[in-house]
Amino acid sequence: MNEQQKFSDEFINAFIDDQLTPEEKAQVYARLSGNEPLSRQICELRKVRDMVQLAYKEPPMPERGMASFAAAGRKYGVGLVAGLALIIVGGMGGWFLHQSRAPQDAAVAQVMSNPEEPAKVLFHVSDGNAEHLKTVLDEVENLMKFYQQTNQKARVEVITNGGGLSLLLAGVSPYADRIQRMQKEYSDLTFVACQNTIDRVQQELGLTAKLLPGVVVIDSGVAQIMRRQHQGWAYIQV
Amino acid sequence: MKKFLTLVLMSVLSLGGLGAAYAENYGKQKVAYHINMDDEKTLKAALGNMQNHVTAVGKENIDLRVVMHGPGLALLQTANKDPDMQDKVSNLKRQGVHFNVCANTLKSKKINYKTDLYDTSEQDIVPSGVAEIAHLQSQGFSYVKP
Repeated sequence: MNEQQKFSDEFINAFIDDQLTPEEKAQVYARLSGNEPLSRQICELRKVRDMVQLAYKEPPMPERGMASFAAAGRKYGVGLVAGLALIIVGGMGGWFLHQSRAPQDAAVAQVMSNPEEPAKVLFHVSDGNAEHLKTVLDEVENLMKFYQQTNQKARVEVITNGGGLSLLLAGVSPYADRIQRMQKEYSDLTFVACQNTIDRVQQELGLTAKLLPGVVVIDSGVAQIMRRQHQGWAYIQV
Repeated sequence: MKKFLTLVLMSVLSLGGLGAAYAENYGKQKVAYHINMDDEKTLKAALGNMQNHVTAVGKENIDLRVVMHGPGLALLQTANKDPDMQDKVSNLKRQGVHFNVCANTLKSKKINYKTDLYDTSEQDIVPSGVAEIAHLQSQGFSYVKP
């Protein structure tokens, strides 16, 4: 019997819905590190929860980041948006698994590809290691420079969740100044933080998460990544 | 019962021609492998993934591009000294796999592709690894990060 089986499905669902006591949550976190199947299960369940929330109500719209999706909901009716969300869930199922996300999004990318369109690229950052974060910023900046030098229009989003959020937390991020400079220098570059992660950080560490100026907050990093891919954005995991 | 099933499965798998039957199921594929890590174990595993991928889909059905940048150039640097990795890379190339190298990384890390990277020539160099991956996805390539 492996460790994962010690938690009932109910217990794990309660964890995801944030209905556990702090002690119980601590248990899950202790078990999570180094337990890939459990992490994956929780990840999948979280994703489903996120998508269900998206499907049945308009997501909370903090600031400007999610405006277009909200507008779509108003314009076409929540039903259609819900339908879209379900299509995304279906189409992108399994996308989360590192190695097996290959075939599903090809068709989507093909449909959306258009030479007149600007390049649209998202970077997914979920690891908060300081050295890693420097590499992330280097890669983002190299790409922005490349598009500048080759006169290509581009929109780039750096989407952080989990440990990656530390890139954008005031007082935590080792690269606050650099991010501010990059935001000024590249107007088509957006740094995005996940509300779910912010909530979790605040609850678990009991601190108020303050973001760097100009950072856009979206409801869920995972849902945002799926939306973007559905809209034809290229995905790059760094 | 489990043992019996395993036996059946093994005997089925050992039949020739099954690979072709699978290949039809997958159809044509365009895939970009993103390599930006230098851990040797991961790199070797990645080469294994690629070979399995080509085998499963069939070499005539797949357009597989390996895009290396940053620390990921270690793949061809290591292959330069490691005969086992050389074999793996050469085999993949023979099956039509492209190994593309980021020019930005060559420049910033002062790597000479002719001497430091295994079997790399000018047409393997792309201006920016990350931009290449983004571009490939806009052309219908799926993204795989081993």
